[in-house]
Amino acid sequence: MIAEEATFVRLMAAAQRGDKSAYNVLLSEVSMWLERYFRKRVPPHQQDDLVQDVLMAVHNKRATYDVSRPFLPWLAAIARYRWVDHLRKVYKHESDLLEDNDASVDSDEDVVEARVSLERLFVHLADAQAEAIELVKIEGHSIREASEMTGQSESLVKVNIHRGLKKLASIVEKAE
Amino acid sequence: MNKNRDDLIAGLTEELAPVRSFSERDGMTLVVVAAVATFLGVLAIEGLWIGAFQGEAAPFFWVTNGLLLLLGLASAGAVIAMASPGVGNRHDAPKWSFAMLGVLPLAALSSVVSHDAGIGALNDDAALHCLSASLIAAAAIGGALTMWLRRGAPVSQQAAGWFTGIAAGAIGTLLYGFSCPVDSVTHLGIWHVVPVAVAAIAGRLILPKLIAW
Repeated sequence: MIAEEATFVRLMAAAQRGDKSAYNVLLSEVSMWLERYFRKRVPPHQQDDLVQDVLMAVHNKRATYDVSRPFLPWLAAIARYRWVDHLRKVYKHESDLLEDNDASVDSDEDVVEARVSLERLFVHLADAQAEAIELVKIEGHSIREASEMTGQSESLVKVNIHRGLKKLASIVEKAE
Repeated sequence: MNKNRDDLIAGLTEELAPVRSFSERDGMTLVVVAAVATFLGVLAIEGLWIGAFQGEAAPFFWVTNGLLLLLGLASAGAVIAMASPGVGNRHDAPKWSFAMLGVLPLAALSSVVSHDAGIGALNDDAALHCLSASLIAAAAIGGALTMWLRRGAPVSQQAAGWFTGIAAGAIGTLLYGFSCPVDSVTHLGIWHVVPVAVAAIAGRLILPKLIAW
């Protein structure tokens, strides 16, 4: 069971005051939240690196969290930022099946998470851009394989990845 | 959870030290200090146009500086807020304020066209001095906002670049503007707006690299 918003806020406020036990619990809960957050958009073998990268970012930037505001949108903004950075760097010629996670969105907590999810970012991309990023940067196909699968030329796949990543970087804080 | 991650969490927990939560008031204080320093510099180097405070300035002088003030405040406020990220944050105020400032060059162009003065009337002896002095005055504000963003966690870095440039350009031009006695529509509408646009472009080009984390 992953902590709820109010618990995160309380733990983070205590962590900012230097409470180590609260911080330990917070990082463990954040770690589990991030695992779930990245599940559909990051291949399993890259998830742990990305989660650790975000944990480091949370640690280094913990002062930027304002305790009068919700915690999860702050965490999600950092997670999205590091994820886009990760997509820019990662390029592996291997394909991993992503876990299917079609859990229904029914509780208030899930509604909040859906609002800050990675899926929301993809909605703002052109279909061709989303497809190229999905195939090459997330599933690990080569440019040539992506070109054959989509019918786009290899140059167009590269252009769509470049433009798509640029667009993602500019809408990290977008919720709608 | 795997052992690497457990070790990382244990390590981060061990090195935890208390931190002061970000406060937008701290950011505003930084900008105010930079603005006061800039204003004192303008006073020392350029001097103040006293006539503006003795009723000699045209109404357009106050309209221009009022719009620059609003744009500067809106943009600086947005930049300060950007240091603390959050999905759902919106930073629309500077866009509308910038659009409002765009009315000034339009007024200047309309003035030139309607008076048959020719496009040459847009240039004047003070033009380049106002452009360069405004940009120099913008430097301290831009530096303060850049420092603030580097301490924070901005995730919308292109927008942060634009808004930092706009804020620095608007506040710098405003502060320098109190020393400039040329209060015609064409001069203010062009040469006290162009520095904002130049600073905005500079901010967009330079800042993202400086504030990446």
